[in-house]
Amino acid sequence: MSPWPLFCQQLVNGLTIGAIYALIAVGYTMVYGVIQLINFAHGEVFMVGAYLALTVCLLVGASHALTGIALVALCLVMAVVAMAGCGLLGWGIERVAYRPLRPRPDNCLTPVGASRDGHTPRLTALITAIGVSFFLQNAVMLVYGATDRRFPALVPPLRWEVGGATVTVLQVVIVATGTVLMIAVQGLVMGTKLGTAMRATAQDHKACWLLGIPVDRIIVITFILGSVLAAIGGILFGLYYNTINFHDGYLTGLKAFTAAVLGGIGNIPGAMVGGVVLGVLEGLGAGYLSSQWKNVFAFVVLVGLLLFKPTGLLGERVAERA
Amino acid sequence: MSPWLLFAGALVIAGCGRDDRVIKIGFVAPLTGDQAPHGEDMRNGAKLAVEHANVQGELLGGYRLALVELDDQRNPTQAVVAAKRLVADRDVLAVVGHLNSSCTMPASAIYHQARLLQISPVSSNPQISRQGFDTFYRTCATDDLQGPAAALFAVRELGATRIFIIDDVTTYGRGLANELEKKLRELGAEVLGHEGITQGEKDFMPLLTKIKSLEPDLVYFAGMFPEGALLIKQRLDAGVGGSFMGGDGLFDPVLIDLATPEAAEGVILTTIGSDIHQVPTAQAFVNAYEERFGQVGAYSAYSYEATTIAIWAIQQALQNNRNLFSRTSGGVSPVTERRQAVLDVMDEFAGHPGLFGVQRFDEKGDSLIRDIGLFTVQDGRFVFLKTASWE
Amino acid sequence: MTTGRARMLWLIAVLLSFLLPVIYRNPYHIEVVASAGLYAILALGLNIVVGLTGLLHLGYAAFFAIGAYTYALCNVHLGCPFWVGLLPATVVGGLCGMVLGIPAIRVRGDYLAIVTLGFGEIVRITFTNLERFTGGPNGLLGIDHPTLWIPGRGIYDFGVRSVPYYYVIVVVMWLVAVGCLRLSGSRIGRAWAAIREDELAASCSGINIARLKLVALGVAAAIAGLGGAIFAAKQGTITPDSFDFILSVMILAMVVLGGLGSVPGAMLGALVLGTLPELLRGFEQFRMLLFGLVMIIMMRARPQGLLGNVQIRRELLVRSDTA
Repeated sequence: MSPWPLFCQQLVNGLTIGAIYALIAVGYTMVYGVIQLINFAHGEVFMVGAYLALTVCLLVGASHALTGIALVALCLVMAVVAMAGCGLLGWGIERVAYRPLRPRPDNCLTPVGASRDGHTPRLTALITAIGVSFFLQNAVMLVYGATDRRFPALVPPLRWEVGGATVTVLQVVIVATGTVLMIAVQGLVMGTKLGTAMRATAQDHKACWLLGIPVDRIIVITFILGSVLAAIGGILFGLYYNTINFHDGYLTGLKAFTAAVLGGIGNIPGAMVGGVVLGVLEGLGAGYLSSQWKNVFAFVVLVGLLLFKPTGLLGERVAERA
Repeated sequence: MSPWLLFAGALVIAGCGRDDRVIKIGFVAPLTGDQAPHGEDMRNGAKLAVEHANVQGELLGGYRLALVELDDQRNPTQAVVAAKRLVADRDVLAVVGHLNSSCTMPASAIYHQARLLQISPVSSNPQISRQGFDTFYRTCATDDLQGPAAALFAVRELGATRIFIIDDVTTYGRGLANELEKKLRELGAEVLGHEGITQGEKDFMPLLTKIKSLEPDLVYFAGMFPEGALLIKQRLDAGVGGSFMGGDGLFDPVLIDLATPEAAEGVILTTIGSDIHQVPTAQAFVNAYEERFGQVGAYSAYSYEATTIAIWAIQQALQNNRNLFSRTSGGVSPVTERRQAVLDVMDEFAGHPGLFGVQRFDEKGDSLIRDIGLFTVQDGRFVFLKTASWE
Repeated sequence: MTTGRARMLWLIAVLLSFLLPVIYRNPYHIEVVASAGLYAILALGLNIVVGLTGLLHLGYAAFFAIGAYTYALCNVHLGCPFWVGLLPATVVGGLCGMVLGIPAIRVRGDYLAIVTLGFGEIVRITFTNLERFTGGPNGLLGIDHPTLWIPGRGIYDFGVRSVPYYYVIVVVMWLVAVGCLRLSGSRIGRAWAAIREDELAASCSGINIARLKLVALGVAAAIAGLGGAIFAAKQGTITPDSFDFILSVMILAMVVLGGLGSVPGAMLGALVLGTLPELLRGFEQFRMLLFGLVMIIMMRARPQGLLGNVQIRRELLVRSDTA
């Protein structure tokens, strides 16, 4: 295969996985924007989304490619179930694990583990986040088993040749879905009242309280929104790879977080750019250099970014430090 | 208090000691975690063997057999802890285990130091028996046989001349792939590349795209079935031509399910032993197993074999020296003497009719039954092709 | 608790730990407690970084691995005996900790967590891939067991016995514990606590934040390296999958459970979470669930842990209107 088509193929592969990373990355980035917390459990929400979609398929008895109305209907059902489930999960995590650690506006005592200025990251919140992540991973493992589960390949394997590379209809769907959702989220954040409230919360909680913005409610909505997007990411992930495992959340979550940082944490278009860039870099690295070192490569990018350019490609959007 | 009362009390307490007519066989494998299904297959095989032995009547001297099951979660550290636990149990006279070579290796040192017989059903890494432990035996073929057998088949019967090798960078996978590569080069075939993938990885499209550009006749994967299934499936999407072969780690029906029967059609696997269903001496076992546990797993037969041999060795030791095992109030024989007696029997092991024919071991403890099986996937099932030939 | 009573408890604990193999002769049980003791050494080290200095470290297993591999390589290639090999393992571990620290200290807390996590995984995967140097997935085999020359008795080979390793671990553990107690009461320890409480204020008081963080990371890594050498000698073979992220989280859970910043707490946490898997052998698949729950519940209900440090207890109930 001559170099140009090979390169195109790797590019197509990278774009596809990049879109999935982007969907998960948006959740990380939005949550970090509003409460300056890395939601370690977000990767697990993505994984749960995939498992919920799988459960729908198992209940319905779908196991092969479908077409037309059946395909669209099943996808809609999966999407609704997964989004609802993950949204609920996101809400639950926020309520149970993170909210009790935030400074309350109505009393003077900062609860245990919260930082004084509300901005510097809290040790206890981070530890809690890891605890939630581990708990969810294990819970899914206990329910669904430790071995890989087959996720039915529902999308028929139509393919086209573009510039020497093979593109499947599923890849197109994934990239298209990712793009549409990103634009929608960006539109929400930039154009609506809710979005303005979210951006205000990301800047300064106290000022929001003073202005009557329901900070807690905004934070919850942010979590739910991020979880819903992760759910879609989970469904697409399952459709694309056709096997899911309880451990997928950890690895994919870390990569998605890398993507978020790469694009600039708190920055939503940044999350999309970061996702695509990381996906493509990973694909090219594995294709041209070595597959064995693929994960090391991703981690090195992550560590390097955090150490030397934490603002990422498009710049951070978080509150100023004191 | 009356001394008679005390004496009577002491007798009662002595009598209420634990049941000392039990001889235990230790069993260690991953019983939880992602390889639990394989571990359970093995455990069922061992359990069946113990049940059969107990049904045949008590061992000499009125002893019962019991199986002590421990979980090592395929973690070497846990394997060592499990090994020490078995060693500390005075009733354990033999161990069947472990499953993963990375666990069997450190554990074998523990058993060796305790002079405790260890028979591994399926650990195929050649290094284990090269440590010189006279306590170690195994009932499967080793990877320095599986690799070359696969190479011979690929070159001689598939006519492959351009081969790409992938492994999962584990003790087992890397070892098997290296053996394969060595033999392929010896046979004059062209090895286009040898790369590793990580366990848990999902996206092999970059690697497969690269492989496609090299146009191989054959792709061989040495690893486990989750990654194997993905490679099998994705290679079609990537448009990689040629055949696909894999090692015994892929020999699990879940492979076909995950890869989809259509994609897996025509895939060829090597296994560390022949097809249990083809061997006439194994029919009784297959029937008994299916009645008790359901479908025979990839490793059940080896585990059954290993356990049966261990039981036989213990029985022989009992026969040779009844007094060794007696527990009269005069004195209890030290555990090491009993374990050594079992080892001595194994030393003189001249062959025992087993599932795969007469089982014999070489001086390193490796099985002399060196059959490597070849299976292919046809219509969504594994179909036995033949036993690999060494010509 | 009065100092007198505290001293008594320490004395009893030390005595008990030394007498355990005499009272309890089962080598399997000794093995389990020895494992817990090794975890305690690691927990004490991590406690310096997370508990005393307040830096969340998620890649601690990497330094454990570095120490283990350093000793193993010295032993297998250079024939270095155990007692000598402890030194390079500790030193290399400490150096690596500081080297990682140099860029990491400028990074804010939550990013530091990810950086350390990434580093931990990079180390593990690198050890797995570098077949020529580290044996790859097979790891390193044939690591010598320690030998001791006993006057009048000749050479005593530790072999795979449980008791000698137990004593080595116990002695090292108590030495490290004493060291940590001393450190936390010293100027350095107080400076670390200041950094944990409020970095800005600490730097305004003239504390060199960068240097102290480096020292904390270095000391903790050195302790992990020491533990790694003991582990390698005890196991006889080491493979990269013994040093995964789950181990890092487990040590963190021990420190959290026992009490952030508390030396006896770290040891207690290690004892509890280290022996629990053996006690609950039937429930091993719940292990990760348990660690997760411990961390969530502890942070909600009692973030200072079981034996929480008095300082931490005080500073956690801070008034937010002073912000």
